Amino acid sequence: MTRQEVLEQTKKVIYDCFPDMADLDLQEDSVINTETAIDSMGFVLVICKLEALFDVRIPERQWQKLQTLGDVVDAICKRLK
Amino acid sequence: MRFDSFDHLLSHFAMTTPDAPALRYEKTTLSFRALDETVRKRAEELRAGGKSCIGLLCDGSLDNVIEIFAASLAGLQIVLLDASLPSDVLKSLIRYTDVDLLWGDGELCDELSLALMAGVKDGKGKILFFTSGTTERAKAVVLTDHSLCQSAYNGSAKLPLSADDTLLCMLPLGHVFGFVCGLLWGLSCGACVALGRGARHYLDDCDFYRPTAVSVVPLLLGFLVKQRCINPELKLVLVGAGDCPPALLRAAGAMGIRVSFGYGLTETSSGVAISVEGDPYAMEICPDDTITLAEDGEILIEAPTCMMQGYYKRPDATRAVLVGGVFHTGDLGRFDEEGKLHITGRKKDVLVLPDGTKIFLPEYESALMQALGHTELAVTLKNDRPILVFSGAADREKLQAKLREVMRTLPRGQQIADILLTDEPLPRTATGKIKRWELQQKVSDNT
Repeated sequence: MTRQEVLEQTKKVIYDCFPDMADLDLQEDSVINTETAIDSMGFVLVICKLEALFDVRIPERQWQKLQTLGDVVDAICKRLK
Repeated sequence: MRFDSFDHLLSHFAMTTPDAPALRYEKTTLSFRALDETVRKRAEELRAGGKSCIGLLCDGSLDNVIEIFAASLAGLQIVLLDASLPSDVLKSLIRYTDVDLLWGDGELCDELSLALMAGVKDGKGKILFFTSGTTERAKAVVLTDHSLCQSAYNGSAKLPLSADDTLLCMLPLGHVFGFVCGLLWGLSCGACVALGRGARHYLDDCDFYRPTAVSVVPLLLGFLVKQRCINPELKLVLVGAGDCPPALLRAAGAMGIRVSFGYGLTETSSGVAISVEGDPYAMEICPDDTITLAEDGEILIEAPTCMMQGYYKRPDATRAVLVGGVFHTGDLGRFDEEGKLHITGRKKDVLVLPDGTKIFLPEYESALMQALGHTELAVTLKNDRPILVFSGAADREKLQAKLREVMRTLPRGQQIADILLTDEPLPRTATGKIKRWELQQKVSDNT
């Protein structure tokens, strides 16, 4: 799977979890906390869905370090089997 | 039942209900007898190790719980650390609390081992919790296994569980509400405590463990309700450590769940008042506690069995809040005609987030001022999330970039979610203090 495909599927998961963000054009450098409506529990939800979708496991201690959409995509790509 | 210590609690149930399930974690179940035996064996090893102060990087696992009880029985001073904090902050907390032994994730322990200290001479019985420790200057509150057991008794006197109950522990053990109301409350009633499997399993822990009771912070209750991941057996939810919006309460009620609120602080070993029936915002005072109101409505607590010994190495800070055995909470309240306590607001410069975290504003704002090179700023809440009010001319994009760097070291929930740029000066008192209420009002009007 290419990085671009991971990015697109990640965006789809975010839009599915937060339908009211449908009008927001998420970019790689979009900061998930400050430029979206995703709070800390929403972030947990997104990560759980992404882990299940891509069959990867991102250590919980790393979650805090994921700031932008690009950070999330990188963390997934690094662990793809 | 009231227990004097963890030792007393464990030995009691190992004698009276040895085969009853005490702890569940993933697919493992430990009976009270097995728990008692495992803890005592590990306590012997810790005694033989000759260390005096253990720092536990809490992950909420079965081994984590066993290590806490064993360290207590072995007479070590215990420091409960939040493993998700940045390494630099953890190192600072380890140095501050004199930790000479670490327990937790091996890689992280290795990284932090350079910060280990020489230990303590008088740490027996002490358990240190951090007051929503998010910075290197977080205060450690000195509690004891005795005060924590009394707090659990206080809670169970108002909300008893039975041996047939399963209490789901979803909150971090490094937070006193999670420790007392997620773990000790259940064990001291002889109930089974199911240890949550971390944030990754918030969606399916209820389905996996089928609990009858759970302790949560408002944010987590909102998540469970919204995602519809509450099991039908769940009959009681204890909410603490933050304000819970009525709409959420109604939603939980519609699912047939009884919701009780608890009010307390780390300094009082968790809850001092709990709502039992009727209005969930009207709380009864727990048996060991006395609550009065100061003239300005500040809640004052006398809790002789549950009160902290003080802030670790901070006698000045202790004297500022604990006067003649009375704790000055900084929270505002009122009593209704039935003598029940209602929380009405905050007097201190503190923001309380829906996940129970407290942000101590002078400290938080001072760090922002330093990082951004600007003093006319303040932090307040918008939609339950912290926002920065920046007074003066600024380029929003550059400001956001700088802010992003500062926020990288903070837990997600405590990061600034938005910036409000304004030409107006911040509302201040004659002595220069920020008028928090007025600022909050302005932000609300702006939305």
